[in-house]
Amino acid sequence: MLAMTQKEQEDPKGFQLDGEYDEHSDFHLESPVPPSEAESTESQQTAFFLPEHNPEQPVDDDQLELNGLEKPIHALHVEGVTKPLTFHYANNLLESLEAQDVHLPYQCREGYCGGCRTDLVEGEVAYLQEPMAWINEGEILPCCCVPKTALKLKLKG
Amino acid sequence: MAYQTFNQKSFDAFSQPMFFGENVNVSRYDTQKYKIFEQLIEKQLSFFWRPEEVDLSTDRKDFANLPEHEKHIFLSNLKYQTLLDSIQGRSPNVALLPIVSLPELETWIETWSFSETIHSRSYTHIIRNVIADPATVFNDIVENEYITKRAESVTKYYDDLIESVAYYQNLGEGTHTINDETITVNLRDIKRKLYLTMASVNVLEAIRFYVSFACSFAFAERATMEGNAKIIKLIARDEALHLTGTQHMLQIWALGKDDPEMGEIAAECKDEVIAIFREAAEQEKEWAEYLFKDGSMIGLNQDILSQYVEYICNQRLTAIGLETIFPTMQNPLPWINAWLVSDNVQVAPQEAEISSYLVGAIDSEVSVDDFMDIEL
Repeated sequence: MLAMTQKEQEDPKGFQLDGEYDEHSDFHLESPVPPSEAESTESQQTAFFLPEHNPEQPVDDDQLELNGLEKPIHALHVEGVTKPLTFHYANNLLESLEAQDVHLPYQCREGYCGGCRTDLVEGEVAYLQEPMAWINEGEILPCCCVPKTALKLKLKG
Repeated sequence: MAYQTFNQKSFDAFSQPMFFGENVNVSRYDTQKYKIFEQLIEKQLSFFWRPEEVDLSTDRKDFANLPEHEKHIFLSNLKYQTLLDSIQGRSPNVALLPIVSLPELETWIETWSFSETIHSRSYTHIIRNVIADPATVFNDIVENEYITKRAESVTKYYDDLIESVAYYQNLGEGTHTINDETITVNLRDIKRKLYLTMASVNVLEAIRFYVSFACSFAFAERATMEGNAKIIKLIARDEALHLTGTQHMLQIWALGKDDPEMGEIAAECKDEVIAIFREAAEQEKEWAEYLFKDGSMIGLNQDILSQYVEYICNQRLTAIGLETIFPTMQNPLPWINAWLVSDNVQVAPQEAEISSYLVGAIDSEVSVDDFMDIEL
């Protein structure tokens, strides 16, 4: 629809720059928005974020496999979760846990907010980037680390 | 004792505590005592954004279509956010800059506070866009008792600290008589005030703001007021950084290596800090009652918001090494994470397919019907 077509009706009041906003008025400081788009009831939000593939599945990405070097698999144990979990293909621990239906709070997903703080009961992790959030003794930030050994984790809350 | 804008003394910046050491002289960032503050500055600068980047023309229409009780929720929430950022846009500067002793921390405080002024500007941007007369909203912030009551508890620690630092810098430690009033100035006492101020700032940024974010996102979760949510997302990204900054300061003190006296104060004040968190949680719950007094909205009501208050309060307490105080351990608003996530905020409009970006685009779809009335 062309924006121009909206102006066909005559507005008897004329337009006011500062007056009461009248939703029926034809004059808009910014161009009118096609109504159909705004009226969809589904939120677009999750569509933006959720990764297209399962991060715990291998991706066919043309990268050379190092001879004889398999991607290591580390066992993960989360307190209160009975099913066996592993870390294999994911880019970080948070993605891996999410792919296996273990959900943690998160916000920045790059180490500065501290939202995903988790207790590390046993094991060792390596950080892919230096986390900026404050980490207390015995805590890790799953959004920016990968396991170096098998891990035992205890989620906050 | 008196504040010096450029301290002429030569001293080792690394030996200074974060606060109440020497006044800073050279603003140098090549070396830092705490490199985290330098990292925070870099990150905050990389986040720079302007409210005008977000188009709100759809929101104007959405707002006009909201039922009255939802307009009340939206505007009250916005007023509260405006109040909080009005405070944060100036208070860290006024309260902390006169007593800070490290150049990287000094600049972090300025950068932090500056970004809050961007937030204030974005509330004006929002209000100007959705309401014909912005003054009614702004005036109500100082007239509405529900809001002024909250302003009081947010600012009392700041004001107390600012007053006693002024006495300390003008008069020094000891007992003084001013206007027939006896004033005792004691540095340890002022440090205590500083610690409690930082705890209350952490509460402001880590709890109060997040409760207000939940309301903003609840609208967008129903696909209304989405431009507003986009701005709040940018604000939430900044706030995540700010609360990391305050958590670092609180924890650096608690370790006692920066300033042994602050370590003792942190240990002494544990109960008082928990009381500050608890008081804020109670106030946020009262606020929820006011917000939803005329009715709930789909996806959010007084009860759920109060549970979120308890959940986020527990989260923030554990972050600074304190025990949880509420039974709610599960997030009652799991969808909020997807809104808070900040790795997708600055997508180019043409990539995100924001409907308003496509305004004026010509519909290029042509069907056979369009040629029906053409005769040759």
